Amino acid sequence: MAYALQQLINGLTLGAMYGLIAIGYTMVYGIIGMINFAHGDIFMVSAFIAVTCFTLLAAADVSSIPLALMFVLVVSMFFTSAYGWAVERVAYRPLRGSTRLAPLISAIGMSIFLQNTVQLTQGARVKPIPPVIEGGIELWQTPDFTVQIGWSQLLIIVTTVVLMVAFTWMITHTAFGRQQRSCEQDRTMAALLGVNVDRTISLTFMLGAALAAVAGVMVTVYYGVVDFFIGFLAGIKAFTAAVLGGIGSLPGAMLGGLLIGLIESFWAAYLWAEYKDVATFGILCLVLMLRPSGLLGRPEVEKV
Amino acid sequence: MSAVVFAHHAMTPAERLRDAGWIAFVALVLGIPLIGLTTVDAGGRLEVATRFGLLAVFVAVAFAGRLVLRYGLDHARARRLRRVQAGTEADDGRALAQRVVTVLGWFALGAAVALPLVFSGNRYVVDTATTVLIYVMLGWGLNVVVGLAGLLDLGYVAFYAVGAYSYALLSTQYGWGFWQALPVSGALAASFGILLGYPILRLRGDYLAIVTLGFGEIIRIILVNWTEFSNGPNGISSIPRPSFFGLEFSRRPAAGEQSFAAFFGLDYSPMQRLIFLYYVILVLALATHVFVSRLRRLPVGRAWEALREDEIACRAMGMNTTNIKLSAFAIGAMLGGFAGVFFAARQGFISPESFVFTESAIVLAIVVLGGMGSQMGVVLAATLLVLIPEFGRNFAEYRMLLFGAAMVLIMVWKPGGLLSHREPTLRLGAAAKATEGGR
Amino acid sequence: MNKTLLAAALAAVGLAAQPALAELPVAIAGPMSGQYASAGDQIRKGAEMAIADINARGGVLGEKLVLEVGDDACDPKQAVSVANTMVNKEIVFMHGHWCSSSTIPASDVYYEADIPMATVSTNPQVTERGLENIFRIMGRDDQQGMVAGTYLADHFKGKKIAVVDDKSAYGKGLADEIAKAMTARGIEPALRESITAGEKDYSGLVTKLKRDGVEVMAYGGYHTEVALILRQAQQAGLDLTVMGGDTMTNSELVTAAGPAADKVLFTFSPDPRKNASAAPVVEKFRAAKIEPEGYVLYAYAAMQLFEQAATAAGSTDYDALQKAMREGSFDTVIGNLSFDAKGDQKAPGFVVYQWQGGQYDYAR
Repeated sequence: MAYALQQLINGLTLGAMYGLIAIGYTMVYGIIGMINFAHGDIFMVSAFIAVTCFTLLAAADVSSIPLALMFVLVVSMFFTSAYGWAVERVAYRPLRGSTRLAPLISAIGMSIFLQNTVQLTQGARVKPIPPVIEGGIELWQTPDFTVQIGWSQLLIIVTTVVLMVAFTWMITHTAFGRQQRSCEQDRTMAALLGVNVDRTISLTFMLGAALAAVAGVMVTVYYGVVDFFIGFLAGIKAFTAAVLGGIGSLPGAMLGGLLIGLIESFWAAYLWAEYKDVATFGILCLVLMLRPSGLLGRPEVEKV
Repeated sequence: MSAVVFAHHAMTPAERLRDAGWIAFVALVLGIPLIGLTTVDAGGRLEVATRFGLLAVFVAVAFAGRLVLRYGLDHARARRLRRVQAGTEADDGRALAQRVVTVLGWFALGAAVALPLVFSGNRYVVDTATTVLIYVMLGWGLNVVVGLAGLLDLGYVAFYAVGAYSYALLSTQYGWGFWQALPVSGALAASFGILLGYPILRLRGDYLAIVTLGFGEIIRIILVNWTEFSNGPNGISSIPRPSFFGLEFSRRPAAGEQSFAAFFGLDYSPMQRLIFLYYVILVLALATHVFVSRLRRLPVGRAWEALREDEIACRAMGMNTTNIKLSAFAIGAMLGGFAGVFFAARQGFISPESFVFTESAIVLAIVVLGGMGSQMGVVLAATLLVLIPEFGRNFAEYRMLLFGAAMVLIMVWKPGGLLSHREPTLRLGAAAKATEGGR
Repeated sequence: MNKTLLAAALAAVGLAAQPALAELPVAIAGPMSGQYASAGDQIRKGAEMAIADINARGGVLGEKLVLEVGDDACDPKQAVSVANTMVNKEIVFMHGHWCSSSTIPASDVYYEADIPMATVSTNPQVTERGLENIFRIMGRDDQQGMVAGTYLADHFKGKKIAVVDDKSAYGKGLADEIAKAMTARGIEPALRESITAGEKDYSGLVTKLKRDGVEVMAYGGYHTEVALILRQAQQAGLDLTVMGGDTMTNSELVTAAGPAADKVLFTFSPDPRKNASAAPVVEKFRAAKIEPEGYVLYAYAAMQLFEQAATAAGSTDYDALQKAMREGSFDTVIGNLSFDAKGDQKAPGFVVYQWQGGQYDYAR
């Protein structure tokens, strides 16, 4: 029982991170209907920025952890959203209105490009930082097992929840949210009604990237080790999460992320760890067979 | 597609400078975290190192590059505009292009046949050409699924793996020959295609993409973990090479066998086998091409294209979309399986590492970059995507960087693919003319 | 930096002005880029130094050696492509590749082209296929696993030992051998698991280890994952000792795992830096600001092997060279090298090391 609880905590932490990245996929998909394959690599770039920031802070002897975290978050979000903006501008905007597959290929190219840029400019070696947040709370002590939740795990889960709430509020209640939703529905009509479509799409990309940056900082804090290859796996998992939850739906992305995190950790905990990705994809197939638009996705209306 | 612009607003020099300045600023922001700053290992921990000189160069290049690019683009646009206004854009340009492509196709075929004769001493060229042909074949196979039937498949590598492993196992465990195993492996791959296709018939677009991606991963993970079956991560080695009507290409043939060199009274040279393999894949690829182009003219091929254009209309016309989709998956998978068999036979060693997602992505990129549905486009794109990294070997670590950048640039430059005209195989009026023309 | 370049350029001009000696191309191949680039780097540094030294002695059979470098990024397909390039360059000797999964397919190409090769790949399959051109100057995974498994069984009696691998050809082979050796000594692994290399989250594994009260983990795989597992174990309050293979020589492990790296034991060939015969060469490397760790001296030794075999054979023809390598005994910086019929080196393979404050040394 204690063991299951510990695995639940592990799964939630992992799922929260997948969820944060998945939101980026889902928003982009919602607004321009393309899979942004480079999103995982944007996340990777943000993790590198975080490593640089933490190293700088360590050199400057900043000892206040909350202050350091805030600083790293802000800096990383700023630069990463610049990357999000640039990727959209260079690789996707010229392709708007062409076939559905063109931006997909361009995105795959972008992903390869970003990965190798980072490898070249930052080196192929793994980048470690000393542990930022250590320790945790012991939740439950049984004779042979102690359940504990690390402060960093707690931080990840709380940050994710707060961001989710803030984000949902923004999409439902602000002017930008309304514009964003109107572009999702019908870009031409939105443009006719005076919505600056280009700007809205750019902002969407930047927001997605900023959320990925939060995930990047969290990964750096939690695992402490970053390399140029982390974007690929995280990207695929997060993309799976977005589809599982119903691509285009924000709560869906979060739900999908959590589900995938939980499936992974429980499957690995009780069944065969080596087949956990098979389980993830298998469950995805099952869900999609029963609900072709994902768990919380709107069913596609077929228009003739 | 886009509206015709009749007025052309020329940029003033000041505007050009401001525009380039903005780009330089963006370059600066992007450059600071990755170029300007880096972390280096300083005895067990990291230290931040700065490279502001390099950053300055990067920003300057961005500024100058933008100026030149903008200038070039504006001129190109102005020229095109003048042409449009003069009304000289010939409509028969398309027909001409079509003819050029056909001529190019024959030329490429001639070159492909002659290549090993010209480079008979050069292992590297023949081997790289063989790789190109494997990708051409994969591209043509995937073209059936993506280009013709319009079903986005991100897990094509699964069928490639099924083909490769079935040949590897049939030959090493049961002693089957290449030519015996080829049809069986193809059939196996095709049944996997149906297996995958069946449960996901209802899915559309990107949902289909992620499920196929998952399918590819599942196959790979099973190959890695099911050691008793596939020898796991160690892969299968010592896979026999195809023989020339029973004649082996080895220096010391097995007892009772005769080697190719001995039979024809030639000196043994490893090149003989390489060249033979090259011709095998060439024949396989050409057969695929003929097969697919014939299919396109059959009802099933027409049905694929109809499905791609409008699924609902297809159903309204009473077409059985289930069978159409499944046949596309099966045939695409079969062709991928053939390519896999050849790959295993050529490498002599396969392991799950050869069947990762990146491989699917590259094959898909070949189809899309070439121009969906265009057979010649696939050849062109496959050649490009194999040769860019090979030429890039001189640039060592910049190799994959260039590869990624090239993919983005080609797509931005020609969003429809290199040979992008998507010509319906059947056109009202034109078809009537064609029949009159005596086809 | 610029001065060295200038000096190199001047030297090149100077060399070109001399009557040119005939040149003999030899090659190294390995992961010069990608995830394992640091190993490729070590190989390159070792080989470059060796060739400079050999040429300073007047080359081999009166001809100067030139070095060709191939990058396979540990990808089997690229390895074959590199091999074909090298055949075209008419190399007479190859040191490589590094990853077993690259060495195996590439060796077929070299075999056909009559090129002898010396490799440090440890997978048994490398020499088990009856190719007579392969010589392994390193031990094999089965020996390695045997040494590690026996050590664990002897030194950690009564503690629970888990065996984990990363599903790579190298990692799984090693982990299987360790488990076998432990069982032979009457100790059953408390847990047998596989993880996916390249992921970041191993908290599931760590929790499992913690539940089963595992104190020692034998791991088949690369150093990056070990660093992550150690960090996460520390966070979860689990005191874990790790036993790994030769890949743990990488100093990246120390940077990434921090002080926890001191809990890493691993098997590696007897440290060639400790050989008396290697002392002058080690000095030379250190003078050039290169620490001759990991594969550096192996690459150096591979070139020495070629030099001595070619001199003994009196030619660089494949048959003569191959025969000389198989029959001879060679005095190199990694000790005396001689080979058995399969091409495996005869000297005993492995000893157990431990990381200690950023350096590794024989485990007590």
